[in-house]
Amino acid sequence: MKKITKEHIEILYKFTREHFVEHFDVQTELVDHLANDIEIQWQKNPNLTFEQAKLNAFKKFGVFGFMDVYGARQGALQKKYLKILWHHAKDWLKLPKIIATFILYYFLYTGLKRYDDTFALIILGFIISFGLIKHILLLKKVKKRQKISGKKWLLEDLIFKGMFLGGITGVNLFNIINLASPENYDVLWSLVYALIFTILIIYIYVGTMVLPPKAEALLIETYPEYKLA
Amino acid sequence: MANQNLYKGSLQTIILKLLSENEKMYGYEITQKVKEITKGKLTITEGALYPTLHKLEAQGLLSVEVKEVSNRLRKYYKLTESGIEETNQKLLELENFIQTITTLINPKIA
Repeated sequence: MKKITKEHIEILYKFTREHFVEHFDVQTELVDHLANDIEIQWQKNPNLTFEQAKLNAFKKFGVFGFMDVYGARQGALQKKYLKILWHHAKDWLKLPKIIATFILYYFLYTGLKRYDDTFALIILGFIISFGLIKHILLLKKVKKRQKISGKKWLLEDLIFKGMFLGGITGVNLFNIINLASPENYDVLWSLVYALIFTILIIYIYVGTMVLPPKAEALLIETYPEYKLA
Repeated sequence: MANQNLYKGSLQTIILKLLSENEKMYGYEITQKVKEITKGKLTITEGALYPTLHKLEAQGLLSVEVKEVSNRLRKYYKLTESGIEETNQKLLELENFIQTITTLINPKIA
C-alpha cells in the first residue's frame, strides 16, 4: 500500500502555508489530516497521483479552505491568551501588589483632580508611547525568534504582538478623553478615569513586561508538540 | 445522506461521546469513526470538526497529546475530568431533546 513519505509531508506543510496558514501548530494538524485522507484515497485507488489526492483532500475543507479551521484556532487561543493575561493581572489585586496598585490609583486620582485634562493627556501620551515602543521592540524580538527556529506558533504571536490591542485601546481612549471629558475633573470623573488608566497600565505592563519573558514556558505548556518540532 | 443540518447542534455531544468510548482520538479518526458507525449517513465536515475540537479544548473539556506517527506529528484529543462530566450532562440533554421531539411528532408513541 502506498504511504506518505517525508518529502510528501514537506510538500503538505508548504501547501498549508500557501493557503494562508502560517503557524506551525495549526499546520501540523492539517498536514496529518491531509496525509490520512490521501492514504485512504490510495487504498481505494493506488494509481491516483499525490497531487490529485492532495487536491481532493483539500476540497473537503469547503470553499473557504483552511480559513474556518484557522479562524477557530485563533479564537480559541485568543481566549487562552486573555485568560493567561488575567491570571497574571489579578496578582495586582492581591497583597502585596495591591498596595502598589492603590498608590498608582491614588496618584492618578489626585493628578486628575488637580490638573484636569492636561494631566489625563500627559498620562495617556506616556502610556501610548511606552506601549508603542515596547510593541516595536517585541515585534523585532519575535521575528528574530521565528527566524532562528524557522517556525511560528499562534500563541507566540499573541504573546509578542498582543500589545496591538492595547495600542488601539489607548488611541481610542485618547479620542474619548479629547471629545467627552469635562474641562474640570470632579471627584466622580477623577475616580472613573483613574480606574481606567490603572487598568490600562496593568494590562500593558503584564502584556509587555511579564508575559514575553515567560513565552517559552507558556509555549511548552500549551503545545505538546513544541519540543518534538 | 441524512439532512446534515439536523445534526449540527449535536456535534459537540457526538465528539464527546466518541472520546468517552475511546481513550484518545485524532481528528481524521473521528470523521472516519462517525462515517463507519452511521454507515455513511452522517459525515462530519473538516470545517466543522476542528473548530469544535478547538473550542472544546479551550473550554478545558479536552486535553491534547502529540506523537510522531508515520513521518508526521499527530495530535490526539482525550477527555479531561470536566470533559467526562460534561459528556454525561450533554448526553442527558440530548436524550431529553429526542424524547421531546418524539412527543411532538408522534404523540401516540410518547
